[in-house]
Amino acid sequence: MDDKRKPDGIVLTEAQQKSRRRRSIAIALALGVLVVLFFAVTMVKGPAVLQRPI
Amino acid sequence: MSVVDHNAIELTPRISEADVGDYIALLKPRVMSLVIFTALVGLLIAPVHVHPVLAFTTILCIAVGAGASGALNMWYESDIDALMSRTANRPIPRGRITRPEALAFGVTLAFFSVMTLGILVDWLAGALLAFTIFFYVVVYTMALKRWTAQNIVIGGAAGALPPVVAWAAATGSLSIEPLLLFLIIFFWTPPHFWALALFRSDDYARAGVPMLPVIAGPDATRLQILLYTVVLVVVAVAPWPLGYFDAVYGITSLMLGSGMLVLAVNVYRYRQGSQALRATRKLFAFSIVYLFALFATLALEVVARAIAPSIG
Repeated sequence: MDDKRKPDGIVLTEAQQKSRRRRSIAIALALGVLVVLFFAVTMVKGPAVLQRPI
Repeated sequence: MSVVDHNAIELTPRISEADVGDYIALLKPRVMSLVIFTALVGLLIAPVHVHPVLAFTTILCIAVGAGASGALNMWYESDIDALMSRTANRPIPRGRITRPEALAFGVTLAFFSVMTLGILVDWLAGALLAFTIFFYVVVYTMALKRWTAQNIVIGGAAGALPPVVAWAAATGSLSIEPLLLFLIIFFWTPPHFWALALFRSDDYARAGVPMLPVIAGPDATRLQILLYTVVLVVVAVAPWPLGYFDAVYGITSLMLGSGMLVLAVNVYRYRQGSQALRATRKLFAFSIVYLFALFATLALEVVARAIAPSIG
């Protein structure tokens, strides 16, 4: 077995890995904000959150 | 042989190096800041108490919706953006973000902003936000911008809607006051953008965008700027004698409007050389101050009344 064999498939450069990580963190933060927003509005509106007249 | 090479290129996946900053640039942060500000004023002048959490949600959704519009605009216009010096540094022409990535980003943000505003705050506001995004992307960007010199006149409606969306979010209905704010921004848009187009007309001509100075020439544009400024000043002052906004607003509007008129007359008078360029740049810069100050006056009056109710 040759341990130093190059891995198969696409190998990301360091810059690509870093930018992908930053993008992932930004998406996680945005989803977190969305969750907190829904929670906060539910707390503010109480049962009225279910009343959505169109 | 060339076919094989071409296929080899096609099969190589592109790995993005786009950073968070590139995606933020897609949102057109400067346009977004004006949208946030005008929407905030729409929310403040609404005659109802809005819970701060709902107010924050409203402004956030409108801001994200505006950002989505910007991203979708850049997705559609990447070909002409690359030809204009003002826009050549945007993420798609620079090769930082691909068009499909921008499209996916814009559609995702548009969907979430509209649905969140509808579910959490008000469906009329959500529907108006959806219409605003649709109007900016489909009506203005796709249909009008490359077709008619009246592109920014009609398209200006999209930029004028945020305070209406905010008012609808606060009250669940529509009224005269937000429509007055709509009209002010609507009539402010042509002098503002035509002033920009006058000193960027080479850019627009190179990209084949039929802005008024490119199609009708600079002199006709100067006359149109002056005429629209007169209408703007009248529309902006009118809410005072009509009794919708008070004297503080009215006098501020008169003073700011006088400034706009003087600068628009200068743009009309000076047609050659550095003097003409200076006059155009001054009008463009002052038009931003004008709109900001006009809306800030309305906001400050509301804040002042909240702090000292006797003022109102």
